[in-house]
Amino acid sequence: MTALRQAGLIWLIAVALAGVTAAVHPKRPSFLAPPRDPNEVTLAQTQPWTGTVLWVDARPDSEFASEHIPDAVCLNFENWTKQFPKFLDHYNPGQKVVVYCSAKSCQLSREIAAKLRASGVEEAYFLEGGWEAWRQQNRP
Amino acid sequence: MSTLTQPMGGRPILRASRLVLRMGIAVLFLFAAITKLFDPSSFAQQIANYQLTPWSATAGLAVFLPALELCVGICLLLGQWESGALVWVAILLAIFSGALFSAIVRGLSIDCGCFGRSIENTGTLWPLIRNLALLVVTGFLWFSRKRR
Repeated sequence: MTALRQAGLIWLIAVALAGVTAAVHPKRPSFLAPPRDPNEVTLAQTQPWTGTVLWVDARPDSEFASEHIPDAVCLNFENWTKQFPKFLDHYNPGQKVVVYCSAKSCQLSREIAAKLRASGVEEAYFLEGGWEAWRQQNRP
Repeated sequence: MSTLTQPMGGRPILRASRLVLRMGIAVLFLFAAITKLFDPSSFAQQIANYQLTPWSATAGLAVFLPALELCVGICLLLGQWESGALVWVAILLAIFSGALFSAIVRGLSIDCGCFGRSIENTGTLWPLIRNLALLVVTGFLWFSRKRR
């Protein structure tokens, strides 16, 4: 059997297996839209937390250096080992933490918030619309 | 005929290296598939981080890629349909490398997602280097295989 015919058969079996996964897997993804995450918050929701919330900037270091929400801490996957201890220096147990990245299309803040919760930061949320939303509201 | 493409029956060291490398890739692909199959939803989120595909395609890839990796891993482990499996290994590694390279170029600070949630904080540069090394290994396996 030629390599291409074998590759075709492997593809067919994989498609069938993927179909079964998409149909019955308890953790299958929705094909219509990303699921609404209960840990997502809007800027309006963060208003009452002003002064107590710890902002976490999940964008690359260069973007953080250029501009960020006042008192925000930089924390991203690339430099997690180096930056997480610095985050802990600013974090008080029980404090609300809101992670943001560049825009609505960016998923990094969701990932970082999930990782923070897994690391013991109970109230770690992520900001809908990210830095773009913050800038549009022209907050300091 | 080059050294690489000569039959390996008479060279036990090369034959053994080939077997070890094939098994190594098989185990790697099986591990990658199983970790992703545990939670396709979470894997979809990791694909979405690359910002390359619309959500419906992302969800499709989240169920299809682990299935394909599983099939490829089993084929390589059993030594069946090896040529076809190597074709997919090369295609997948090339696609993954392209995605990682594009993430690096766009300055995205994301996790590779190569092994679902089982191994995180890998960044993108080292997975790209690993993938390119695996492509070289795949090339060796391809050119040294028995033609059937």
